[in-house]
Amino acid sequence: MKFMGSAIAILRKDILLELRGKESLSLMLFLSLLLLVIFNFALDTGKENVSSLAPGILWVVFTFSGILGMGRTSMAERDEDAYLSIVFSPASAESFYIGKVLSNLLFLVIMEMFTLLFFAILYDFEKIIGMLPQLLPGLLLGTLGFSLVGTLFSFLTTASRYGEVLLPFLYLPVVVPIILGGVSSMDIILNGKAGGAGKWIQIMAVFDVLYFAVSLLLFRYIIEE
Amino acid sequence: MKTNRTISILFFLLMVMMPLNLYLIFKVAPTERIMGDVQRIFYLHVSLASGAFLAFTCTFVSSILFLWKKNLVWDSAASAAAETGLLFATLVLVTGSLWARPIWNVWWTWDPRLLTVLILWFIYVGYFLLRGGIADRFKKAQYSAVIGIIGYIDIPVIRYATKWWKSIHPLLSREGGGLNPVMKNVMFFSLATFLVLTVFLFLFRFRLARIEERLQKLKKLTED
Repeated sequence: MKFMGSAIAILRKDILLELRGKESLSLMLFLSLLLLVIFNFALDTGKENVSSLAPGILWVVFTFSGILGMGRTSMAERDEDAYLSIVFSPASAESFYIGKVLSNLLFLVIMEMFTLLFFAILYDFEKIIGMLPQLLPGLLLGTLGFSLVGTLFSFLTTASRYGEVLLPFLYLPVVVPIILGGVSSMDIILNGKAGGAGKWIQIMAVFDVLYFAVSLLLFRYIIEE
Repeated sequence: MKTNRTISILFFLLMVMMPLNLYLIFKVAPTERIMGDVQRIFYLHVSLASGAFLAFTCTFVSSILFLWKKNLVWDSAASAAAETGLLFATLVLVTGSLWARPIWNVWWTWDPRLLTVLILWFIYVGYFLLRGGIADRFKKAQYSAVIGIIGYIDIPVIRYATKWWKSIHPLLSREGGGLNPVMKNVMFFSLATFLVLTVFLFLFRFRLARIEERLQKLKKLTED
């Protein structure tokens, strides 16, 4: 109980920080919007194509905005070694990790919901909002995977000389299964493709369980001084 | 030093095995009926892949041992193995591409196996990027150990995901099939040769890392 209590406290701290500073979420939202505009130039997004392009565009936007956001929140922790006050507090490394995963997850989900809304408006594709209940399991499991790996790796990379610039190089190859699962399951649901989204949900779930267990074991080595 | 002796022995072993291996591949192994001489690249390709896999496994195990024992020897071992693995993985991709051009008629195809090796390659490039970015010796070891572990456990997940993804599209072709006995023996010898090479390169880099470590320590002593 105490364990989750510390995690929730860290989550609350991050929400408060975001409400006051508006540093990471607003940047993520702007990047999402900007990427959606760019994709409009890069791809032929006519009425007949938009449904088949949607999964790819959306998951690329989720991925890159997510990298930006998670890099930002870790940078904020590293600034003036703010995270050390958590390390020296009675909260365990594990609850620190879970707290950060939850806050990253929350911000990522908010960003994704806005991105879906922007997408529906800009690409005249309201159908996607109506299908949200079916899309939600894939979205949540994928985002959880992003958050589990991103929280760990953003803490790793921000300690290096290159800072958050290094994050995509480590993060992107590792989350390939999530991107594959996210795009494929969304494609199956949106476009009624054969194959069933179930197995993709499964592989994302396996990924999440695996990374949750391993990250929980490894996180203490990253914040240890 | 024991490592020094082992390295010399392996070196002499390789001096014999490498030319013999090439002779076997080009002179003894029969020419494949359909693919022709190009098929000979397989003896190298498969051996390199096995070497890379062995090396990355060694990185994984050494990374765990480092986090457990906190001894920098294990970090030197992990990075030496990762270097060897990365070199081999690069060569696997290159030799595979050279083979694919005449046989599949493309330099590259999004086959699950190819994709897994490529992603693996990216992960270990990231491993060295991170190492290059951290000055503190102990932190460098600790952080790269985390990547060494996370990257390795990603392999099966990537493999399954890419397999399922591709099962929607038809696979271009499957190589291999029945090897004739001479081919099989040549393949075994090539595998053995490259495993010796893997161990040799690993020990060589490992020794270098240890010497560098000692040099840094001495430098620090003279500065104080």
